Amino acid sequence: MKGTFVIIAAVLLLVLSFLLFTNIPVFQKGYVRAKSRLADGVGPVLEAMKLPVRGMNLVIEEYIDLVGVKRKNRELKETIGKMELENQKIPELEKENERLKSLLHLVEQEPGKLIAARIIGEDVMNWFKCILVDKGRSDGIRERMEVITPAGLVGQVIEVNRWHAKVMVVNDTNSSVDVYVSGKNTRGIAEGTGQTTLKLKYVLKNDDIEPGDKLITSGKDAIFKRGFPVGIVINVDKNKAGLFSDVDIMPFNNFKKLDEVLIVSK
Amino acid sequence: MTRKAACLLFGVLLMTCASATFSFSPLEVAKPDLGVPFIIYGIFFLSPAQGLIAATVLAFSREILSSSPPGALLFASVGLVLSCIFLRSRLYIESRYTFALVCAASVLTESIIFLALSLFAKGETKDAYNVLIFSVPDSIATGFVALFMFAFFEWTGIRYMDRV
Repeated sequence: MKGTFVIIAAVLLLVLSFLLFTNIPVFQKGYVRAKSRLADGVGPVLEAMKLPVRGMNLVIEEYIDLVGVKRKNRELKETIGKMELENQKIPELEKENERLKSLLHLVEQEPGKLIAARIIGEDVMNWFKCILVDKGRSDGIRERMEVITPAGLVGQVIEVNRWHAKVMVVNDTNSSVDVYVSGKNTRGIAEGTGQTTLKLKYVLKNDDIEPGDKLITSGKDAIFKRGFPVGIVINVDKNKAGLFSDVDIMPFNNFKKLDEVLIVSK
Repeated sequence: MTRKAACLLFGVLLMTCASATFSFSPLEVAKPDLGVPFIIYGIFFLSPAQGLIAATVLAFSREILSSSPPGALLFASVGLVLSCIFLRSRLYIESRYTFALVCAASVLTESIIFLALSLFAKGETKDAYNVLIFSVPDSIATGFVALFMFAFFEWTGIRYMDRV
């Protein structure tokens, strides 16, 4: 009898979670509210865990640095050689510098509009890509705010609790960003793959795009403002069947190495 | 009762700790599913009701610490509970190694349930490659962690309460 009751309860839970997954507003609103209330307690726990974990990470990194110091020395010598060649690319770097300056100018111009946040956690499942930051509702964070670093776009805020917020990173499979190729008319949708790289969708085969092109947010998706750098084109395959090219993008940010981010408040 | 609740709370804390650790570790390929050993232990060593409670609480915690669509992880965990209830009298876990093996297989089952849900509810297959590529390393990592967690469960002394 008790076993039957458990099976019935499990089936009911299964139906409820199915309805939640299919985005039925009545169920979802209540669920999100309940989740938000409970999640309020998670922020302080993550904050408390940040210090020992960061300390441990520092010790490990220091040790690895010591082990790899000889190898690094050799690599640095090789790098000097490469850098001499890189000097020839100064005009290109100047352009990049200008772009970064404009981003910095944005910060100086509207200091209240950018909120600096530290990363305190990461998605527990590797099917999805999100980061948890130490700023929440009490700091003025709201859903759908853009998250950036000086290097480029990180993602958007998808859930806000009192002490922390959840940021969906652009390489999550549920993430899409409208982008255009810098200096060209080509536009497309940068979609997350769950891996390191992104895919640029809906780029026609006769569109002007090639490896090395830089992608910038177009501002036409009503979430991300125009002008945030997203990534660089690393591969264009026009031999694929169909109307569109297969384009791979490498984001400017290494999402595993982020420590701080900037949240653009609206 | 208090010990079981404390054990469950420990599971939630462990998951929060894992989330904090993952943000600093460069390891991305394998993330152990720390909720699964609690669910499996609950069903096979306590009762299906305890397993269901553990699955609901831990799935809810996982959804708080993940950007998964609402209900997705709850569906996968409850689906796992149902399949384990049917296997309860057919499968005998006699050692920590069998326990680890069952936990590893459960992670694979969960990913299949999640993929089936995405396919039937939304007609989407875009998650398939991403989920499948991580399922095997995740299950191996979970199996490894389950070896230690079994020792922890034994230490708490809440086992074999009404084992069938």
